[in-house]
Amino acid sequence: MSRPERGGVVVVGGGVAGATAALAISRHGLPVTLVDEQPQAGGQIYRAPTPYARRHVPPNHEFSGGDRLRALLAASSVRTRFSTRVWGAWGASPGMELDLLGPDGIDRIGARALVVANGATERFLPFPGWTDPRVIGLAGASILMRNGGTLPGRRVVVAGAGPLLFSVAHQVMELGGRVVAVIDSGRRGDWLRLAATLAWDPARLRLAAQWMTRLRLAGIPIHHQARIAAVHPEEDGLSITISGTIAGTVAGTGRQGTPVRHYGADSVACGHGLKPATLLTRTLGARHRFDAAGGYWEPETDPSGRTSRTGLYATGDAAGIRGAAVARLRGLITGHAVALDQGAIAERDFASLTRRPRMLLRRQEHVSRRMLPLLNASASLSRAIADDAIVCRCERVEAAALRAAVAAGARDLNQLKAWTRCGMGPCQGRMCEDGARGLLAASCGLPPEEAGSFTPRMPFFPLPLAALTGTFAYSDIPLPKAAPL
Amino acid sequence: MTALQDWPDGSVDVAVIGGGVMGATTALFLARGGMRVALLDRQDLFRAASGVNAGTLTLHMTRAQLIPHAMRGREMWLASRDWLGADVGALAAPGLSLAFTEAEEDLLRARARIRRQAGAPIDIVPPSRAAAIEPGLNPSVRAAAYCALDGHIPAYRVGRAYAQALAQAGVMLFAHRAVEAIVPDGAAGGYAVHCAGHARPLAARRIVLAGGVWLEKMLGWFGHAIPIRCLVNQLAVTETMPRVMGSVVSIANGLLSLKQFANGSVLIGGGWQGEGNIHEGGTRVIPENLRGNLRLAQHVVPRLAQAQILRVWLGLESETPDAMPLIGALTARDDAFVIGCVHSGFTSGPYMGRLLAERILGGAPDLGAFDPRRFSPSPSLPEHTP
Ligand SMILES: Cc1cc2nc3c(=O)[nH]c(=O)nc-3n(C[C@H](O)[C@H](O)[C@H](O)COP(=O)(O)OP(=O)(O)OC[C@H]3O[C@@H](n4cnc5c(N)ncnc54)[C@H](O)[C@@H]3O)c2cc1C
Repeated sequence: MSRPERGGVVVVGGGVAGATAALAISRHGLPVTLVDEQPQAGGQIYRAPTPYARRHVPPNHEFSGGDRLRALLAASSVRTRFSTRVWGAWGASPGMELDLLGPDGIDRIGARALVVANGATERFLPFPGWTDPRVIGLAGASILMRNGGTLPGRRVVVAGAGPLLFSVAHQVMELGGRVVAVIDSGRRGDWLRLAATLAWDPARLRLAAQWMTRLRLAGIPIHHQARIAAVHPEEDGLSITISGTIAGTVAGTGRQGTPVRHYGADSVACGHGLKPATLLTRTLGARHRFDAAGGYWEPETDPSGRTSRTGLYATGDAAGIRGAAVARLRGLITGHAVALDQGAIAERDFASLTRRPRMLLRRQEHVSRRMLPLLNASASLSRAIADDAIVCRCERVEAAALRAAVAAGARDLNQLKAWTRCGMGPCQGRMCEDGARGLLAASCGLPPEEAGSFTPRMPFFPLPLAALTGTFAYSDIPLPKAAPL
Repeated sequence: MTALQDWPDGSVDVAVIGGGVMGATTALFLARGGMRVALLDRQDLFRAASGVNAGTLTLHMTRAQLIPHAMRGREMWLASRDWLGADVGALAAPGLSLAFTEAEEDLLRARARIRRQAGAPIDIVPPSRAAAIEPGLNPSVRAAAYCALDGHIPAYRVGRAYAQALAQAGVMLFAHRAVEAIVPDGAAGGYAVHCAGHARPLAARRIVLAGGVWLEKMLGWFGHAIPIRCLVNQLAVTETMPRVMGSVVSIANGLLSLKQFANGSVLIGGGWQGEGNIHEGGTRVIPENLRGNLRLAQHVVPRLAQAQILRVWLGLESETPDAMPLIGALTARDDAFVIGCVHSGFTSGPYMGRLLAERILGGAPDLGAFDPRRFSPSPSLPEHTP
């Protein structure tokens, strides 16, 4: 661990928000370093495709948008550190310090200002069988197809909530796969209402209409207000039981939907929307709030992305899920705000530079916020989580064990964690927190925000011990004074 | 916040402040002794030191004068089903403390001798014997202190067993109650316990302070000015690994504790310090200390070089100026008590709590060495106003 570099601005996350912010900051003459765990910039939407994918996936605006972003970065003075993950963060006033693990081992970087643009995490609600390797996340499936040019299977069931459902279904078809069925936990009416809102955003409306028409023309069954009750492995694939809606449980009757259908498929792509990745902002002590519409915690920010902690910014989906177009605008505004706060530009310049983006943002925000509830079916589904469903896959904790802990008096997620090991594994609760929170809240009638969230701990991902220890001799270890006799 | 459950009518016999191992055990045995007990904590039970500690049941690292208590406490943990009503996963294991240099060997022998005199069955054994007990050890060990009576316990599991036992014993549990002041209640002859979020105080005839590292301020309520030092101890845990060790390993100066739990994860500790603030909360790893701790662990059990570190966390431990516990009465009227600052207190916690309960119930266990009045013989506090 060498002495940390000091002084510059650091942006964590090279997606559209982070890269745009870094570019804006560098344009104002401030030294800025962009850190991303991927080998190239682009994030989720603009992730660099493999050469194979470039040949096999029909050209699309996301490839070209990503290429443009990468070209701009290459031509800029932004210092990039790719294939590098942040595993720890410290508030070292003034400024902050980040611990990194990169191609050359561990390192530490100091930041005068830190922009957190690490995007979103996929949300899962568990059902028996979801831990089968052939069940993958919607976002994961999308990356596999779009950036890898590979289908998750020939026959795919697409399930969960939100617009990603239809995007993924569309991608499966685009690559020549078969969509067996689309299982949507939302109502059909929700989509129709959304169409009205989308009139504000004609580009998105056009895209959505295209996807829907294509699914309909292909005669693919779409079940609304439905969920996967269970997935069973079979010799030649998966057998998937679809359950009727959770309407009964929503109304508070506690009745679970009855199985209505079975499908066979090679794989299931499923997910229940996205949530901001808040490990960094929480570790650094920014204030967070629970967004009821989105069903997740997000850092409290002002319109420019300033958090409650001086010098710490959150932007793009890391500050609340709004999608790629908003992420770019937010990143741009945050970049200018950093320049303003660092004294590189005057208040007047900031106002004129951000006038148009702020106007566009207001329009887009309106649409994006309307979409949030569609991404958030968790509250109504949590009650339906089967007792034998594994909720925490790292520690293999089933829903029944969580319900027993709640019955024994656990009332917040950290207590639940201590009593069951749920969330104690390598993923640090990223996969199970939403299921556990929903289940806890549903079991004792608490609002989900009172269930809290798992306390973040370092390292943010499993870290090779040898990377931390390096080469050393016994005599190098500073042994403090012996404990009292 | 949901509305806080209200206090019981009338006064309780004892209000115990602090739901760690010290307070919870005291409350449990007081209730079993027939008293009406309320247990208050500003958060949930066992979330401070008692829920995040390394769970080593250790005689090597316990202060020599506390060895008899630690041996009793260890026995209680191993038999938790009998008195707590649930098996908390305590395992007996041999304990080894190692020396790699000549100076360490001298220290090892001195410490072992003193502990042996205090009743711990600790012997110095040659490297070959240490390697036979723990095949994963670095062969450069010069000498080892061996104790058959060591062990470990996954600390995070203990809180749930206590919650159940306390409820069964009839202890009234009030979580999320931060006690802000305790004042003599002239009229009733007891105390008024004031909590954040409650207009009305809880009335209690007796008080037990068991606030761990937060004791200093609480002692002030009773006129005792005892500086309590806060140790910010660091722990690291690995991913689950195939078996790499079966014993509990430390080094001569006490700055390592290493063991593998039943689930395969290895816990690395030893009291390396981080930063923390008991008033504002929040802790911070000192990276050089993390590295030192991990290097020491890897030196001692070389196969840990293949481990992945899953988590690092810090916990707060309290210490008095003479590093000896505070257990006993705080007032001349014998109606307020303290329990805390016990070195390796998780090991002896159940026994210490039982002793204090016995004392409050009218027994006369020997707590002389722990008397809080050794620091402030005549507290400046308002005794009860007549
Ligand atoms: C990291 C670490 C590792 C350790 N490893 C070991 C080990 O391996 N073996 C061993 O034997 N010992 C170990 N110890 C020591 C052991 O954990 C402690 O000695 C023991 O747990 C102390 O128990 P306690 O009940 O006194 O304190 P705590 O467990 O800290 O309990 C105090 C309680 O008081 C509550 N409280 C504080 N203020 C208020 C207030 N105003 N109102 C209401 N409630 C309040 C707190 O919330 C807390 O729950 C370790 C300690 C640490 C920190």
